[in-house]
Amino acid sequence: MSDWMIWKKGPETLPFGKRFDLHVRGVALLAVLGVGWVHLLVAYGASPKTTDVGYAPEQPVPYSHAMHVGQLGLDCRYCHTSVETGAHANVPPTQTCMNCHSKVLTGSPKLEPVRESFRTGKSIPWVRVHDLPDYAFFDHSAHVTRGIGCVSCHGRVDTMEVVSQVQPLSMAWCLDCHRNPEKHLRPPAEATNMRWAPPEGDTPDARHAFGKRFKADNHINPPTDCSTCHR
Amino acid sequence: MSALLPPWFKPAAVVLGALSLVPFGVIARARNVTTTSPRIHIIRDMDSQEKFKAQAESALFADGRAMRPPVPGTVARGELMDDDHLERGLDPDGKFAATLPAALGLADDAKLAALLERGRERYGIHCAPCHGLSGWGDGMIHQRALLLTEKRPPEDGMQWVPPTNYHSDALRAYPVGRLFHVATHGIRNMAGYGAQMSTRDRWAVAAYVKALQHSQHPEMQ
Ligand code: HEC
Ligand code: HEC
Ligand code: HEC
Ligand code: HEC
Ligand code: HEC
Repeated sequence: MSDWMIWKKGPETLPFGKRFDLHVRGVALLAVLGVGWVHLLVAYGASPKTTDVGYAPEQPVPYSHAMHVGQLGLDCRYCHTSVETGAHANVPPTQTCMNCHSKVLTGSPKLEPVRESFRTGKSIPWVRVHDLPDYAFFDHSAHVTRGIGCVSCHGRVDTMEVVSQVQPLSMAWCLDCHRNPEKHLRPPAEATNMRWAPPEGDTPDARHAFGKRFKADNHINPPTDCSTCHR
Repeated sequence: MSALLPPWFKPAAVVLGALSLVPFGVIARARNVTTTSPRIHIIRDMDSQEKFKAQAESALFADGRAMRPPVPGTVARGELMDDDHLERGLDPDGKFAATLPAALGLADDAKLAALLERGRERYGIHCAPCHGLSGWGDGMIHQRALLLTEKRPPEDGMQWVPPTNYHSDALRAYPVGRLFHVATHGIRNMAGYGAQMSTRDRWAVAAYVKALQHSQHPEMQ
């Protein structure tokens, strides 16, 4: 008797043992599918692209990069002065804000925390946005002076009212670029330019071609051994 | 084929299949918005260690800073700043120097050209916002400040004083050492940039400003 015939007659006509087998088979198949589902869910849901990207903490002062960089045209290095010379890109001291805000909008309530910090000498408690695990080593100067622009890792900061993390900062992400940096490379003098494109035009091919040339000319060779980032 | 599976399987699979998509939808949405709530951090490993990173907070010190300033009265190696020409822009007789310090090591024209190029770049970063790219005192901040003086209510506080134009006779008579001094310590309404730029960069900027002045006043020969 073929399976098809059993079905025609209805499974209840089967002996109990066979019917039980049928249910077990159904449950087992659901369980297998369920395990696959859980894997997919974890891979998708627990990836740093879900858990880390998009973090935009509330800051003590409503400071806007979109205003200061996008509209007023300030260069990143006006404030983040150590980005070309050190591992750490400094968040500017209050004095840097007061270069302008001792004259501009001196009564604005939004700037009161800045003035208070200046009066009392206490730091403004800026909240960290990007934060690698403490066992990983990163160096800004090694990237910025070797042809990687801020935009590759921080996105279009010049359009952000509030800074948010746009890249996963996972090890896979670091290594992706260390293995194939071509499409990110640009002249180091353009590191802070958020809109740089190669002279041949803003296409992936032009970027890749420029990067390939630049990499060869300047011996750019991002290391991938563990001790580069775990030291 | 269906007989390999119990009759409830198909409806159950359809319902569970539909429900199983819900979490993905929720996650997909979470991936496309920004959030102020802290990162979801499932496995902590050694991510946060008992050490301080640059600019971190510390409960140990009254000012809350983990980074400590040097003890008052101490001088780090190489930071005695005993070269008056290099550090203060002064001649041996205490007047502002009209020459670039020997300590910059400008042995040939190529080195000077490199210094001027560096000066051009740093001028664009630190000075041009107010003084303008060609030094006429018409930078972006100045223009915005004029606009704000009209637009914003007086209680927001706009006491704007226009930035100096470099091409006046008085400014053109400044020796380069005096430009260096102003870049370092500021003057009247301008803050000093000694903390934001290295000594060499401030000399580069001073030299570049001199070059700018010449560029706007070509001498007939
Ligand atoms: C007028 C000063 C100023 C300028 C110019 C400026 N920034 Fe910032 N930046 C800040 C301050 C203050 C913070 C800390 C508050 C915050 O996160 O918004 C900050 C934070 C950041 C952060 C987040 C740091 C963290 O906590 O992880 C990044 C990334 C950043 N800036 C990149 C840039 C880039 C790229 C540019 C140039 C396109 C730039 N900034 C220009 C003042 C400035
Ligand atoms: C080079 C000059 C300059 C520097 C440096 C600068 N700002 Fe500003 N800032 C401005 C100007 C000009 C405006 C007004 C923009 C407008 O509204 O048109 C402004 C506006 C603001 C506002 C909005 C105030 C209001 O009432 O609308 C805040 C907040 C602010 N700045 C914070 C900061 C902080 C914090 C820093 C230091 C990290 C800083 N700024 C450094 C020039 C500067
Ligand atoms: C190759 C990628 C990369 C590039 C290029 C890059 N950054 Fe970063 N940035 C990072 C990472 C990763 C962190 C987090 C570092 C950490 O947690 O130790 C960070 C952190 C920061 C911070 C917070 C302070 C710190 O150092 O932890 C600031 C401010 C910042 N970046 C500004 C900039 C600016 C301005 C530029 C361009 C001149 C730039 N970054 C270029 C990857 C990059
Ligand atoms: C967009 C491309 C890019 C990304 C993303 C990137 N790097 Fe790099 N990295 C480079 C390039 C290019 C160099 C310079 C190689 C050279 O000088 O030849 C470099 C150099 C380095 C160096 C210095 C190596 C040395 O000893 O000279 C370290 C450390 C480093 N990267 C760590 C990281 C870490 C950690 C991350 C992830 C958080 C990261 N990088 C992400 C492109 C990238
Ligand atoms: C280009 C930089 C870079 C290199 C090279 C690198 N790592 Fe990493 N690694 C990182 C960063 C950044 C993280 C933190 C990732 C995160 O936050 O999820 C990390 C995390 C790790 C972790 C912890 C993973 C976890 O989530 O628990 C291990 C283990 C590790 N790396 C091992 C290695 C080994 C082994 C090598 C050499 C084969 C290596 N790494 C090379 C940057 C690097």
